[in-house]
Amino acid sequence: MIIALSTISFLLAYVSVLTITALGGMFSEKSGTVALSLEGCMTFGAFSAGIVMYLLPSSVPDGISALIVIVVALVSAGLYSLLLAVASITFKANQTLIGTALNILSTALAVVLIKQVTKTDALPVGNSRLNFTRFYEIFNVNLFGVQGVRFNWLIIIVLVLIPIIYIIIYKSKYGLRLSSCGENPSSADSLGINVNRTRYIGVLISGLLAGLGGLLLITMNAEWEFANGANGFGFLALAVLIFSQWKTIYIFLGAFVFSIFKTISVVYPSIDFLANLGISSYFYLALPYVVCLIVLVFTSRKNVGPKALGEPYDKGKR
Amino acid sequence: MNKVKMFFSSLLKKDATKTVVTSLWCALFGLVLGFIILLCINVNDAAYGMTSVLGNYLIFTNPSDRLNYFGQTLAKTAPLIAMSLSILVSYKAGLFNLGGSGQYSIAVLVISFLGVGLNLPWWLVMLLAMLAAASWAMISGALKAFFNVNEVISGIMLNWIALYLVNGILTNSPTIWDSAHSESYTITNSSNSFIPSIGLDRLFAGNPIVGLGMILILVVVIIIYILFKKTTVGYELKAIGLNGDAANYAGINKIKNILIATAISGALAGLSASLNLQNGFTSWRLSTTPPDIGFQGISSAFLGGLHPIGIIFSSYFIVHITEGGSMITDLGFSPEVASIMTSVIIYLSGFVAFFKDVMRRRELKDEFNKMSRDKEGKL
Repeated sequence: MIIALSTISFLLAYVSVLTITALGGMFSEKSGTVALSLEGCMTFGAFSAGIVMYLLPSSVPDGISALIVIVVALVSAGLYSLLLAVASITFKANQTLIGTALNILSTALAVVLIKQVTKTDALPVGNSRLNFTRFYEIFNVNLFGVQGVRFNWLIIIVLVLIPIIYIIIYKSKYGLRLSSCGENPSSADSLGINVNRTRYIGVLISGLLAGLGGLLLITMNAEWEFANGANGFGFLALAVLIFSQWKTIYIFLGAFVFSIFKTISVVYPSIDFLANLGISSYFYLALPYVVCLIVLVFTSRKNVGPKALGEPYDKGKR
Repeated sequence: MNKVKMFFSSLLKKDATKTVVTSLWCALFGLVLGFIILLCINVNDAAYGMTSVLGNYLIFTNPSDRLNYFGQTLAKTAPLIAMSLSILVSYKAGLFNLGGSGQYSIAVLVISFLGVGLNLPWWLVMLLAMLAAASWAMISGALKAFFNVNEVISGIMLNWIALYLVNGILTNSPTIWDSAHSESYTITNSSNSFIPSIGLDRLFAGNPIVGLGMILILVVVIIIYILFKKTTVGYELKAIGLNGDAANYAGINKIKNILIATAISGALAGLSASLNLQNGFTSWRLSTTPPDIGFQGISSAFLGGLHPIGIIFSSYFIVHITEGGSMITDLGFSPEVASIMTSVIIYLSGFVAFFKDVMRRRELKDEFNKMSRDKEGKL
C-alpha cells in the first residue's frame, strides 16, 4: 500500500514537472524561439528558490514562506529567460548556441553562489547540495493520512494551469497571435501584430513555467545537488514537447508515458518483480531516454513544428 | 604614412579581422564579468584570484613548475581542439552537434577496454575509439537523414544513454574499474596504449602527458582546414549546410552528406577522448551528468569564429582560464567561476554575427558618404 501510494506520488510529480516545463517550452517554440534553455531556466529558478529556502528564517509563517519561494522561483526563472529573448529576438543570435550557454551558466552560477551562501569550505570540491527539510514538509502534505506517503501540492497548481494554458493557446486572441508569429511572422506583422513583442512574451512565459517546474522538481526531495542542474529534466521536457508535436493534450499524455519509465528507474528496487530480474540500475536509468528516442523516430516524419522555429524575424525579408 | 593607414583600414575591412576583433571583445567582456563576480564573493582576494585565473602556470615562481604546468595546459588543449573541430564540422554541414559528450563517453568505453584492459598499441586504440564514436554519432545522423529526427534532441538523448551505458558497463568490470576511487584505472606511462612522448616531455620539465598527441592534433586541424577549403567532400558538406534542399536539387546527396558529417564529427569527438585519456592524465569518473567537454567544445568552436585556426587559440584560452580557475579553490572561490566566464563568452559570441553586420553597415555608409562627397567636389 505504502509502496503503491508513494509510486503514484512520484509518478504524479514527474508528470507535473515534465508537463508544466514542456508547456512552458511550447509558449517559446510556438512563438518561434527554440526552447533549449529550459534546463537552464529550471536550474536558475530552482537554485534561487533553494537559496531563499536555505536563508528564510523559520520564524516566517509556513504559508508566507511557501508563497515567497514560489514567487522567487517564477520571477527568477522568468528574468533568466529574458537573456534568451534579448539575444535571440533583438540581436538575432543562434538560438541553439544561446540555449547551450544559458544551460552551462545557470549550473555554474548555482555552484558558485550556493558555496558562497552556505560558506561550507569543508564540503568536497564541486559539492553544492542544499538541504531544505522544512520546505519539504511545507510543500509535501500527508494527503491520505498514510505515514510515509506525501503529495506535493504544487502538483495541484500544475493541474489547474493545464486547462488554463489550453484555453490561452487555442481559444484566446493571444494564443492565435503567438502561433502566427511562429508559423509566418511576415504575415503576422503585416496584420499589425508586433512579432518581437509577442515572442518576448512567449519566452518570458516559458521561463516562468520552467521555474515552477524546477521548484516542484527539487521540493520532491528534502535536498538537491545543484551541481547537476535540473538533472536533465529540462531536456526531457523539450523532447516531450517535440514528440508531442507542440500540442497541449499530447504533451500531457507524452509526459505521462515518459514519467512511467522515469518512476520505474526510481522505485524499481522496491518492486519485487523488477528487483528479482537482476538487471543493472543503469538500464532503468537509460530506459526513458531510449523510449524517447524510439518515439521520436515515429513522430518526426512529418514536419509539424512551427515553420519559423529558430529563425529570427527580419522585417527586411518581408 | 598613408600607405600604412591604408593597409590597416583594408585589414579592418577583412571578414577574418572582424571575427578576431569581435571574439576578443567577447573574451574581454567575459573576463571582466568574471572579475566582478569574484569581487562580489570576496573583495580582498578577488585581485589575486583573477591573477591566478589569468596567469595559470605563470603564478609559479619556480621555472620548472611553470614549464610543467604550461605543458599540462597545452596537453589539455589538444582534446578540446578535437571536440571543437567536431562541433565545427557538423555546424558547417548545417547540423548542431550537442551529442559530443555521448560520443566522447562511448570512446572512453572503448579506450578503457582496449587500453586499460587489453593494453593494445596506442594508435590502434585511438583508431578504434574514433570508429566507435563515429558509429555512435551516426545514430543521430541516420535518425536525421531517414526519419527527420531533430539532431539536437537526439544528440542530447544519446548523451544520457551513453552516460548510463558507460557507467553500467565500467562499474561491472573489476579489471578496469577502481571501485575504491569510483573511477576507471588510468593508462600508465609504461603501457602500450600510452601515446608516446617522443622526447617532447623533456621540453616541459619532464611532464609525460605532453607528447605526440599535440603534433597529431595540429595535423588534424590542417586536414580539416584543407577539407573545407580544397576538397569536393568539404564543398558538398558546406553546400548542404547552406541550403540542404537546394544542394540536393543540384545533385548533392543530402542523406549521404549528413551521414558523412556526423561520422567525421563523431570521430573527432572520439579523438578528443583518446587525447584526454591515453596520456594517463585522466580517466572516467562516476558521474550523474554527461561529461562537460561536449559543451566546452561548443564554446571554443564559436569563440574561434568557426575557423580551424581560430579554434586553436580559443581552445587554448578556454583551457588556460579553466586550469587557472582550478587553482583558486584554496581562496574560497569555486573553480566554476571559470565556467561562468566561458559561458558568458559563448553567450556573447552569439552576438558576433550581429556586430559584424553593424560594422559592415557602418563601412558601407562611410563609403557612400565619401562617394557623394567626391561627386559634390566634381560638380
